[in-house]
Amino acid sequence: MWEQAGIVVGALVTLAIFSLLYKDNPLYRFAESLLVGVSAGYYLVQYCFSAIYRKFYIPVIGEGDLWLLPGGILGLLILLRLSRRVQWMSRYAIAFYVAAWSGYLIPSVLQERILIQIRSTFPPSLAEASIWAVLGSLFLLVGVVSILVYFFFSAEHRGALGRISQVGITFLMVGFGASFGYTVMGRVSLLIGRFQYLFQDLPQALSF
Amino acid sequence: MRMAFRTVWYGLLVACLACAWSAPSAAAHVAHADSLDGGAQEAEGAEAQGVSASSEEVLDGAGSEAEGGETPSTGWFDTEHTPTAVATLLFGAILLFFIRSARSGKPLFIRRIAGLEAVDEAVGRATEMGRPILYSPGLDPMEEVATVASINILGQVARKAGEYETRLIMPNRDPIVMTVAQEVVREALTQVGRPDLYNADDIYYTTQSQFGYAAAVCGTMMRERPATNFFIGHFYAESLILAETGNATGAIQIAGTDSDSQLPFFICACDYTLIGEELYAGSVYLSREPLLLGALKGQDVAKAVLLVVLIAGAILAFFGIDIGPYLG
Amino acid sequence: MKRTGPVVFGFLIGMLMLIQYFTQVPWIDDRYNNVLDWKQVVFGITLILGVVSLFLHHWKKIERKTGGWGYSVVTIAGLLFMIAAALIFGREEGPYPWMFDHVQAPMQSTMFALLAFYVASASYRAFRVRSFHAALLLTAGVIVMLGRVPLGEMMGFHIGEHYFSLGTISTLILDYPNLAAKRGVMIGVGLGMTATAIKIILGIERTYLGKGA
Repeated sequence: MWEQAGIVVGALVTLAIFSLLYKDNPLYRFAESLLVGVSAGYYLVQYCFSAIYRKFYIPVIGEGDLWLLPGGILGLLILLRLSRRVQWMSRYAIAFYVAAWSGYLIPSVLQERILIQIRSTFPPSLAEASIWAVLGSLFLLVGVVSILVYFFFSAEHRGALGRISQVGITFLMVGFGASFGYTVMGRVSLLIGRFQYLFQDLPQALSF
Repeated sequence: MRMAFRTVWYGLLVACLACAWSAPSAAAHVAHADSLDGGAQEAEGAEAQGVSASSEEVLDGAGSEAEGGETPSTGWFDTEHTPTAVATLLFGAILLFFIRSARSGKPLFIRRIAGLEAVDEAVGRATEMGRPILYSPGLDPMEEVATVASINILGQVARKAGEYETRLIMPNRDPIVMTVAQEVVREALTQVGRPDLYNADDIYYTTQSQFGYAAAVCGTMMRERPATNFFIGHFYAESLILAETGNATGAIQIAGTDSDSQLPFFICACDYTLIGEELYAGSVYLSREPLLLGALKGQDVAKAVLLVVLIAGAILAFFGIDIGPYLG
Repeated sequence: MKRTGPVVFGFLIGMLMLIQYFTQVPWIDDRYNNVLDWKQVVFGITLILGVVSLFLHHWKKIERKTGGWGYSVVTIAGLLFMIAAALIFGREEGPYPWMFDHVQAPMQSTMFALLAFYVASASYRAFRVRSFHAALLLTAGVIVMLGRVPLGEMMGFHIGEHYFSLGTISTLILDYPNLAAKRGVMIGVGLGMTATAIKIILGIERTYLGKGA
């Protein structure tokens, strides 16, 4: 019973969101407001449980693991933002939050986004690979080099630098076009999924 | 301060040399696994889970490494990461050198970036039309550097909005981004002598839900009719929903993201787009702060070093000499 | 204390996270995991701050009876209902998961599905070619789009004995210029990210800390 009612409600809110395609209207506004409220509540409960309860309350209060106490203290510091007088103390929590991840990012980004990508751009040996493979990897190399030249900021893009960066922007545009075309079918399949919900699941629920 | 700076810099150089010395032997341990950004294109549709997701990814990564069984080394320094350590130290040293040079006051050049040149025009247009500006910092949490870059640009946009007496609206998906943005906007408005224009209600939290956030921003765009929209930060699949809705309302749109899978959509639907690294150069470009300009120069020098490695490595690879294992 | 303290604190935490990447010392690994847990707790507590902001934002609209205040009632009702449902009936069963499955999830999926229409309108915009680069984007987009459907295999041309279908050309575009673009952007972004992260740890980049930092 609740399941069938749920499908009917789901179909109604689906139509309400689709109505945005016509224009902003009271139905969409209702659905948008409901989505914001319900999802904000949903995530609040999830994080309170998974973060505050499981990562702070149980280990610190329940098991006496004091290594997890600073998390709670930093969390409380951030609440001091609400007071003008001691607002500065919340900077400790924000500095912690941002700097901790930055520290982690430096080596991992250097390895995954830079070193591995550079390594993967190296072409195969002339002696081992076919002419097509060599030409392909040479083309790839020209693309990567010219794009990196496009991203030079401290020099005017004139002369040779300007011409190479023009090649770079050409590669970028073809690449972005390809990404665009590649994504279209995926988006259409999402729409088909919603239509299946409306034209298959809903009639089944109503036939009950 | 200068002494400390010098010490850190020399320390980095020494450490760099020490690591480089041990690199060849460490490189032998490294498996030659070919990898790319696989899955990024498909994964973008998934809900961006903010802090917990990123943290859990790290935990998962750590877990899988541990489960791998065979660990290449233990102790104070994991030699498997020698190439990364060398790269980290070298990059840090280059960056510090140029930041230090910038302290001398030598003027540093930065090339024109069209999307950022248009900021004045975009804010001015909003003022002329008597409509607000909308600023979206993307979906990522405050810890992600794309969001930090976005917040820096926000500070500059808020200053201009203050100078032009234009209202700035900023819906947020992340509560920490919201609190930081409130502080940054208030400070920017104070700096231009218009603290009275600050309204904390205009910088508000919506929801953690990716598409809930998209729905809320679309609603705001359709009702408040901002004359200018800024989408600056890391975006996922919602990028096109936001940009197309903004387009339908007739707003001038400036986007900037480091997400390569979303760039095509912003390029199609926005008037100006900051592509990838331009996002990180953005705040330097707008603020022209000498230290940050120095860092940008250092970034360019590091890029030049990479280009040399790339081209030299490619030439060697053609002749069967593979320097790949030395890169991690 | 107000200015330097947070920067020094950030430096120490940042260095811990940086160093743990290169070491396998159990004590450092444990602290690293602690830091990840602290981050989650900080985020959880800040989320309360965010939800309070959302509540007040809409509450003020209701109090002042500004235009569309009725929708603010819907938002607050949805928010409070979810919290109450989880507190009374639990997170595993009852109205809380029901609301997620039958209200939140369908709406989120539909917002996502709207992209099919927006992709179409963005494509239309791209069709109005304004420059050489826009033409390149459009051409590559159309070839890849057609190349990924069965029709694309039937469309093509001959060069000598070789038949080049749109599918083949699409694969070539994805394998070379597209890969080059992704890689180039990725390396550039990587440099930007690393430089920003280093500036954050060293306290050169501190706008995010706010006033006077």
